[in-house]
Amino acid sequence: MPGVAARMRLTEGDQDFMRTARASITHHSRLAASLAVAALLGMSTSKATAQEPEPATREAVIETAQADKLPTLHPYVERKGERLMESLQNYLNGVHTGWHPFLESAYRGGGFAVGAGYQQYVSPYNFIDVRGSYTVSGYKRVEAEFVAPRLFERRARLSVLGGWRDATQVGFYGIGTTGTSVNDRLDYGFRRPYASALLTVKPARNPWMAQGGAEWTKWDERRPDPGRPSVDTKFTPATLAGLGADPTYLHAQGTVGFDWRTSPGYARRGGFYGVTAHEFHDRDSAFGFRQLDYEAIQHVPILREAWVLSLHAKASTTSKKVGEQIPFFMLPALGGGADLRGFNSWRFRDRDSLLLQAEWRIMANRYFDTAVFYDAGKVTSRRADLDLHRLKSDYGFGARFHAPFVNLLRIDVARSNERNLALVINTTAAF
Amino acid sequence: MNIPFFSRSIRLLAALVCVLTAAAIMTTPAFMTAPRFYDDDPIAREPESQDASKAQGYEIVDLYEMTHNLFVTAGYKPTGVRAQNINTVDEVPDSNWFTNRIGSRAITVDELVRGPNAGPPPDPSRWVVIHQKTSGVHPGITVKDAGGQTWFLQFDPAYFPEGPTSAVAIASKIFWALGYNQVESFVTTFDPRVVEIDPEVRVTRPSGARTPFTRADLKELLEPLARRPDGTYRAVAGRLVPGRVIGNFLFEGTRPDDPNDVVPHEHRRELRALRVFGSWTNLTDLKAANTLDTVVTENGRTVVKHYLQDVGSTFGMNNDLHEWDLGWEYFYKGSPTLKRLFSFGFALSPWQKAHYVEYPSVGKFEGDRFDPRTWKPQTPTTAYMETRGDDEFWAARRVAAFTDELIRAVVHTGEFSDPAAEQYLGDVLIKRRDTIARIYLTAINPIVSPRLEANALTFENAAVVLDIAKAPTAYHAAWMRFDNATGDTEPMAVTDSDTTTIPAPRDLPSSPGEIVAVEVSADSEYPAWSRPVRTYFRRAGDGWTLVGLERLPGDAAPVRRQASR
Repeated sequence: MPGVAARMRLTEGDQDFMRTARASITHHSRLAASLAVAALLGMSTSKATAQEPEPATREAVIETAQADKLPTLHPYVERKGERLMESLQNYLNGVHTGWHPFLESAYRGGGFAVGAGYQQYVSPYNFIDVRGSYTVSGYKRVEAEFVAPRLFERRARLSVLGGWRDATQVGFYGIGTTGTSVNDRLDYGFRRPYASALLTVKPARNPWMAQGGAEWTKWDERRPDPGRPSVDTKFTPATLAGLGADPTYLHAQGTVGFDWRTSPGYARRGGFYGVTAHEFHDRDSAFGFRQLDYEAIQHVPILREAWVLSLHAKASTTSKKVGEQIPFFMLPALGGGADLRGFNSWRFRDRDSLLLQAEWRIMANRYFDTAVFYDAGKVTSRRADLDLHRLKSDYGFGARFHAPFVNLLRIDVARSNERNLALVINTTAAF
Repeated sequence: MNIPFFSRSIRLLAALVCVLTAAAIMTTPAFMTAPRFYDDDPIAREPESQDASKAQGYEIVDLYEMTHNLFVTAGYKPTGVRAQNINTVDEVPDSNWFTNRIGSRAITVDELVRGPNAGPPPDPSRWVVIHQKTSGVHPGITVKDAGGQTWFLQFDPAYFPEGPTSAVAIASKIFWALGYNQVESFVTTFDPRVVEIDPEVRVTRPSGARTPFTRADLKELLEPLARRPDGTYRAVAGRLVPGRVIGNFLFEGTRPDDPNDVVPHEHRRELRALRVFGSWTNLTDLKAANTLDTVVTENGRTVVKHYLQDVGSTFGMNNDLHEWDLGWEYFYKGSPTLKRLFSFGFALSPWQKAHYVEYPSVGKFEGDRFDPRTWKPQTPTTAYMETRGDDEFWAARRVAAFTDELIRAVVHTGEFSDPAAEQYLGDVLIKRRDTIARIYLTAINPIVSPRLEANALTFENAAVVLDIAKAPTAYHAAWMRFDNATGDTEPMAVTDSDTTTIPAPRDLPSSPGEIVAVEVSADSEYPAWSRPVRTYFRRAGDGWTLVGLERLPGDAAPVRRQASR
C-alpha cells in the first residue's frame, strides 16, 4: 500500500496536528477521535488509493488537515443541558413564563409545601400568575395574581391578588408569653377567601418608599383536622375573643420607609427602616382594630462582606376600636421559621409583640452562606411591657443558598428551651 | 462542536479503522519517517486554505458555560501537551486569531496609543439608536453617529464614573499590542438631546414580545449611569466590526463549521497566554460571550476572524462595586469554601488582606500582593487550565516588552479627569508587569534569540537582560548532528562559556541543508535553568538559520490523557 506507506511518514509537526485533530474531537467522542486519526493518516479508501503526494511544506501539512476537515463540517450542536440552563438563567433573571415551582405554604405552620404556578404575560411587562400549593399538613392555597410592575414610569408596582386558603391545624397555645405552655396546644382551622390590591411606590430614585393597599378577606373558622384538641374544647367565645366568629375584613394598610438594601430578597449591606399602619374594618363592627408595625433591618458587612452582621427588630402594637375586640387569630404572634425559629409556629400571641433577631452570616462562597443566629421576643397585653425583660429566645445555625438578589433556599436548625431542634426549610430570607 | 450521533455499527467500524491505523503506525519502518523540519519552517503565518463561508452563528448559554467551567473545567487535568499552533521556533505565527506585534517587533508610543483604531472617531453631534444591547453587565446601545458610522456605545455606571469606558479604551489597545484582534474603540460623549431613535428598533420585553424602543427605554437605560453636570454621558464607542457576525468562540475544541479551525482552542498558545495577560490586566471575565467571530472575505477567501471583543472587565472594573474576590477566586471553588465554612470565616482569604487605593475610575486593582500564579478569572477556561511553562514564558516576554513609557502612554488614552487615578493605574500595571517578568522569566530556562554565526552560538538571557536575575556562572552547549529524515542525533561536542557566546565545535557540518541541534543550559541560582533549551540550525549558504526551538523539550505528554476528562 504505497499510498498508506507514504502517509505514514510523519513528521513531528504532522504528529502534532494528528494529536491536535484527535484531541479536538476526542473531547467529545472517542469515535470522532478514531475518525480524525484515520482522516489525517489518509486511511480512508480514497486517500489510501489516491497516490496523493506527501506534503512538502509545513503549510501543505496544515492545508491538508484543513481539507481533511471539510467532510466533517456541521453547525454547532447544542450540548446536553444547555436549554435547561437557558430556562434557569431566564428564571433567575426574572424572565419566566409558563410553569414554575411554587413552594409557599397557605399559612405559617403548614409544613413543607409543594406546588406549581403558571405565569402568563398579558402585556410586555404585566402578567398574571396562577398558582397553588399543598403542604404536608394538608394546607391548601390557590390564588391568582395580576402584577403591573412598572406603573407611573417605573415608580410603582401594583399587585391585585385573589385566592383561597385552607389551614387545617393552626396551633393555639393561649394568650401571652409566660402563662402558656407548649404542652397546651389546641388547634383550629379556617378557610379564607381573599382579594387584595397593593400598590408600592418609590417616589424617586432614592431609598424612600411608600406602600399602600387594601384587602378584602373573609375568615371562615372551622374545626381542625382530628389529632389534637380543638380550641373550642377549652375556650368559649366569652373567654376567647373571635372564637367561632367569621369576620369579614376590609383591611387597609400603608407603609413608609427607607430601604437601601441591594434587594429585599437577599442583601449583604444596607438597611430598611419603616412603619406600617393597618386598619382592619370588620363589616359587622365586632372585630375591627388597628395595628402598627415598626421594623428595622440593618446589614453590617465586615471583612469585605465575608461576614455580615444582620440585625432585625420588629414591634407590633394593636389597638381595639371602641366596642370591638381583636379575634385571637388576628393577634400579633411569634414562633416559627420567620421569627422565633426555635419555637412552634404561632407559639405566642397577644396584643403587642417584640422581636429581636441577630444573624452572623459567613460567606462560604458567592452563592452559599452559613449563619449563626439568635432570636428573642415576647408578646404582651400592654404596650408598656414591650421591653427587654423575660424575652423568649432561641439560637441556631443555618445555611443559605442564594442568587445575587434572591434567597433560593434557607435551612435553619434552631434550639430553644421548648424544642431541642427545630428544622426550618424556606425559600425566603429570614429578614 | 459536538459530533452527531453515530450508530453502534459505525462506532465499531471507526474503532476498527483506528486499530488498523495504530497498527500501521507501529509497523512503519523508521526510515519512512518524514523530515522534522520542512523547507518553509518556521512558518510566519498559519495558512487558512478553505472556504469558511458556511460557518453559522452560535452563542453558548452564559449560565451553562459558567456552570460547566466551574464544576467540570475546574477539575480538568491538563494534558501537558505543548501548544499546537506554534511554529518550529516556539512562536505563534500570524493568523486570523493573532498578529505578532509587541515582543516580536518594536512598538512605538504613537502606534500603541492608536492601537486598533484605524479610522476617525465618531462624530457625537448626532446619534441614532439602531439597536439595544440585551445582554451583559454594563448597559449599551448600537448607534449611528452623525457621519453614518455604526458604533456600539458602552457607558459608566454611577458608582464607577470613567471606569468601564477608560478600561475599554486602554485594554483594547493593550490587547491589540499583545496581538489580538480588537474592536476600534474611542472615548466619546453621548448627549441625549441629540439622540434620535430609529423607529425600527425593537427591544425584547420580559413577555418575549419585541416592541419599539422608546424614549422611556432610553431614559431607563441612562438612569443608573454616571451623568455629567451638563447632562451628557461619557461613553466608549466601539466601531462595528467588518464581516458577518457568527457569535462567539469557545475556549476549547474547534468550530465544527470552520474547516480552517483545526487546532483545539485549548491548545492555541494565544488563548492559553490569556492566563498571563489576564492576570496582568485583571481580565477576570474570560468567557465565550466576550469573544466574537466574524466571517470576512480577505484576499479572495472567506474565513473566520476571531476577536477578543469585550476586554472591559479589566483593572478594577468588574461587575459590581462590592465584589472583592474577583481576580482572587473563581466564582466557586471547593477548598476556600470549606476553609471559610469550617473556620467560621476566621481563616482570611487573600482578597481580604489586600490593600486597595480605590479610585472610582480604576476600582479594586493592586500590585503589591499580586501573584500571577494564583490569579483567578471568574471561571476557568480549558485554555487557562492547559497553560504550560513555555506558554507563560512566551506571554511574560510580551508583557515585559511594555516599557514604563508605553504603559503610561496607553493609560493616558483612558482620558481620566483625575491625574492621580491615571498615575495609580500606571503604577499598578508596572508593578504587576514586573512581578510577571520576575516569576515567569526565571521559572524556566530563559535562553532567547539564539544565533549561530562565526563559529559561535550567541543568544540572550531574557531574565538577565531585564535585570531581574543574576547572570549564570556558566552556560553549556551540547552539540549534535541532526538527521532531519529520521530524527536521529549524533553527539558532536560540549562547549562552555561564562558569557552568552559559546564557541562552536570545529567540525560543524558544511553541506547545505544539514542541521545541527544545540542544547543550551545554564548554571545559576535557578535550578530550572539547568534544563536545556534545544535549538536547531540549518546550514544555508555560508551561514546557519534557526529552524527549531523547544523550550521544554520532551514535555509533550500524549493527548490521550485528554480522553480521561
